[in-house]
Amino acid sequence: MLSRHVLKRAVGCSNAPARRAFATEVVPPAASPPAPTPPRSKKADKARISTAIILNRSPIITKSQTPFETAFYSYQARIRRALSNPFPHDFYFKQGSLLQTRFNMEERTREKQAFGPSFLPPEEVDAAKAEADKAAVEQLAQQEGEGEELAPRTHEADLKNDVKSLDRQGQRNLYLLLLAEENGKQVWRFPQGGVEKGDLLHQAAQKDLFAECGDHMDTWIVGRKPIGIYKPSPATPEEPQNNVFFFKGHIMAGQVRVDGKSIKDFAWLTKEEVGEKVEKDYWEVVKDILSDF
Amino acid sequence: MSFLRPASSSSKAAFRNTTAIRHYAGKPDTSLGDPKRENLRRALYPSNIRNRPTPVGTWRPDVARALQRAIPSVQAHETIERAWLLHKRHVRKQREAELSRKFEKMREAMDELYKLDSQLYLQANRADDPRAKSAQEMEMAKKLKVSEVRTMDARIPGLFPRELKVPTDTPSRTGWNYDYKPFQRPL
Repeated sequence: MLSRHVLKRAVGCSNAPARRAFATEVVPPAASPPAPTPPRSKKADKARISTAIILNRSPIITKSQTPFETAFYSYQARIRRALSNPFPHDFYFKQGSLLQTRFNMEERTREKQAFGPSFLPPEEVDAAKAEADKAAVEQLAQQEGEGEELAPRTHEADLKNDVKSLDRQGQRNLYLLLLAEENGKQVWRFPQGGVEKGDLLHQAAQKDLFAECGDHMDTWIVGRKPIGIYKPSPATPEEPQNNVFFFKGHIMAGQVRVDGKSIKDFAWLTKEEVGEKVEKDYWEVVKDILSDF
Repeated sequence: MSFLRPASSSSKAAFRNTTAIRHYAGKPDTSLGDPKRENLRRALYPSNIRNRPTPVGTWRPDVARALQRAIPSVQAHETIERAWLLHKRHVRKQREAELSRKFEKMREAMDELYKLDSQLYLQANRADDPRAKSAQEMEMAKKLKVSEVRTMDARIPGLFPRELKVPTDTPSRTGWNYDYKPFQRPL
């Protein structure tokens, strides 16, 4: 939070000599006394500000474990099982009940898996009773019925490599890229647009996103600060320098709808796929803004 | 006087245990009735005679044997530990490097904004007060229905939306919601 006297100085004395330090700065057109500044080039007077949005679909599923992590976790689980107390099944289950029998059978298999089959002493139950127990437990499993089916971690969009789908690559961060037509060329870029008068940057970012991608999306722009800036070299020397401020947004529901006029196509891509599609100088700016995984 | 018995009393009389048990203070017979009480008593007050694993597991006789099976050797265990810490360090350094790159880009952007337009810079630096209702929100609240006002109030500027879900182990069965009905929110 800026203190009151700093705010006063920044707002009230906007034409103070302290600002003269920046030679390329924009002079506000409203009520500025003609200060004796050094002569500026024309393009610096009218620097354009645009906003772009890096719309991110966050990961839906947790990251897969590497083989080393899986091995380490199972090693630690074995040590924990060796050191920890045996489960007090006498207390938690009714004596002689079927659930207790089932739990003890499962626990025996778990101990065998952890320490090897020769670790446990052989059970002192007669074969007939063991058979009866197993049959009863199987019947119980059948009676309980199948559990709820869990959705698989790979979606069919992964198999088909459907780049428009928001279910693809559930573990990764996906970013929205648009195929725009500029001066006859087709370029892949993030949604972009100008800043209207009186708008703040994050408000302009939201408006530009809806203008280019339709409003059939539940999006949220993170905060008010830009996360990056792109300064393309202007096509002609007379054109003002365009400053494109990037804003981060999240999509929570819905899908992009392009109008097909200036925006031809869209795709939801991971960081590497974005790098393959965009221009080189654009990528130099954007690669440090996107998440690696 | 009871010590002096006449010789005619039978020697086959059972030798009664004469240590003074006050029968009103004896232990109740726990084999009848609900075993729950007995289970609770055994769980809360385990015996400390170490002849078998206790129900609550305050002692386990084959710890050493189990550990021998679990751990290959002291050196192997230490190597695994160091490998894990190294792996964690790699992950941590990667994450920190990514964050510092992102922050550097953000700092650069804010510096450029300061040079370009001080008003926009000031507004970008201002923090959103979650408790305050902006003028635009108040205006919209007058025109919308009650349920829509509640939908509008649910998304608080300055706070994360609750629709940003934590990742789960498996995706939802219905998948992504492509049929989102647009709702005009105040900017």
